Amino acid sequence: MSEFLEILVDKFMFKVATDRLYSAEGLWLKSEGNRVRIGVSDFFQQHNGDVAFAEIKAVGKEVTANSEVATIETMKVNVELPLPISGKVVEVNPVLSTAPEAINLDPYGTGWLAVIEANDWNAEKTHLLEPLSYFKKMKEDAEREINR
Amino acid sequence: MPGKKTFIKFVIVPCSGIGKTFGSVSREAAYIITEDLRQDDTQLVALAKLVMGEASAVETVSGNPTITIDGCKLACASKMVRESGGNIMQEFDVLDVYRRYKELRPDGIAELNENGVKLAQALAEEAAVTIDKLKVDTKVGQNA
Amino acid sequence: MPDLPKKKVGIVSCSGEELAEGTVTRLATRKVLDQLRSEATVPICLPLFMAGGQGDRAFAKFYPTIAVDGCELRCAARGTEKYSGKPAASIMVRDVIAENGFKQPEGRCHLNEAGVQAVDATADKIASIVDELLGKHWNRRAGAFDDIGLAVPIPDKGNKAKKVAPCSCGSGIPVQEVQINGQEVKLIALPLIFEDFRQEGKKPSAATAMELLEIVRVYNRIPQGEDEKYREVLFSEYAFFCDKEANQ
Repeated sequence: MSEFLEILVDKFMFKVATDRLYSAEGLWLKSEGNRVRIGVSDFFQQHNGDVAFAEIKAVGKEVTANSEVATIETMKVNVELPLPISGKVVEVNPVLSTAPEAINLDPYGTGWLAVIEANDWNAEKTHLLEPLSYFKKMKEDAEREINR
Repeated sequence: MPGKKTFIKFVIVPCSGIGKTFGSVSREAAYIITEDLRQDDTQLVALAKLVMGEASAVETVSGNPTITIDGCKLACASKMVRESGGNIMQEFDVLDVYRRYKELRPDGIAELNENGVKLAQALAEEAAVTIDKLKVDTKVGQNA
Repeated sequence: MPDLPKKKVGIVSCSGEELAEGTVTRLATRKVLDQLRSEATVPICLPLFMAGGQGDRAFAKFYPTIAVDGCELRCAARGTEKYSGKPAASIMVRDVIAENGFKQPEGRCHLNEAGVQAVDATADKIASIVDELLGKHWNRRAGAFDDIGLAVPIPDKGNKAKKVAPCSCGSGIPVQEVQINGQEVKLIALPLIFEDFRQEGKKPSAATAMELLEIVRVYNRIPQGEDEKYREVLFSEYAFFCDKEANQ
């Protein structure tokens, strides 16, 4: 599979990275050994707009499944992001305190949010969406939004 | 002073992005600077002219110190001024300014809300301070 | 040609800051986008064309655009043509003012009464052109309208006619990444083009590759001097596509 699945809806190009899993809310999760790096999808950042502030749970904080791991404040909305797995925050992207626009500019790369030490990745990842499934969902959401 | 260039006026180039409220803030701020705060020290150049390589616009930006005001990190105004050979003395990003004035969340594109106008005013005032500082160094206001 | 999603019209405004007429273009465009034809129109950002806004450039290749300019420099019309494709229609505010006998608009930041009149008249003109465009079929290859009354694709000669229906609502345009000269290149609508060719029974061949190149060129920019490389890649990608479909 190529690095990204892409689609053009109206004038918006949306990409889904194919090397990670997704939550329905648009969080991506990429396994790195026993740790999981998280960020937001391209559709999420385009849909919600330019990020003004990003607050991530502090290093050391335990997060239970489906509880909030980050709050993203954009020009349009304040979004609370639930973490679909349980674990401990072991790293927070230092760039986001001074340049949260990295989330918009490079959501799958330098705009990552945090690294989580997952409690049970193998069990909990089964609830997540494969790239193609997320791509289909994203496509429907994008078309619904744009044609509203 | 030998070797020091003198210029006529600072050039202000806003992005005027039509898709986002920040584009309208950039435009409003540019008008506040050039029509109210620093009318004698500044001139406005339309970004569309630079995009099309219009000769007088290109000559103006390449011959005068420029301040750009961009509505987002795509930074169209800054990019175009550089492409046109301009010398950017200060780049303003409306989002960065908003972070300093968090209470002034702007809204509206065709017509800015009250907060948007205030944000534009805040940005314009920061730009005016910048212009005053740069004037001393670049001798703006003297004939070229 | 591939069936494309629900048709919309892109509006490119010069938004020129130096003249009141530039402000008129901006406000007239927003009035159409926000009020008059909100579901049928999309704003296209002129500076983004240059800065490399792929989505805006791609949109302007697929869908008809209306350029709205404040003055004779016609930056929006010329910019659209330069970076994407010829606009389907071009309006100049000074013409609208003359046609309606309005006084000269004043005020770049806040328009006077004449400026507001010009905004309304320009917005009405844009809206009527939008209606006209949505009732026509924009031929991207020709860069002009086909003289038929409905927005339907033209059936290929000698082949079974494609389904005659309005463009499908709501489906996006897939993009495929290919490797050309060691670089990743995104080709818009490539999967749709391949599917079209396959359905028409076109086998991978040198002649098919040439046809593919011409269709791909309608939707994507092919750098000068690289036709041969693009043709080779399209040949191999199409062969792979047909093989995959045959094995499913």
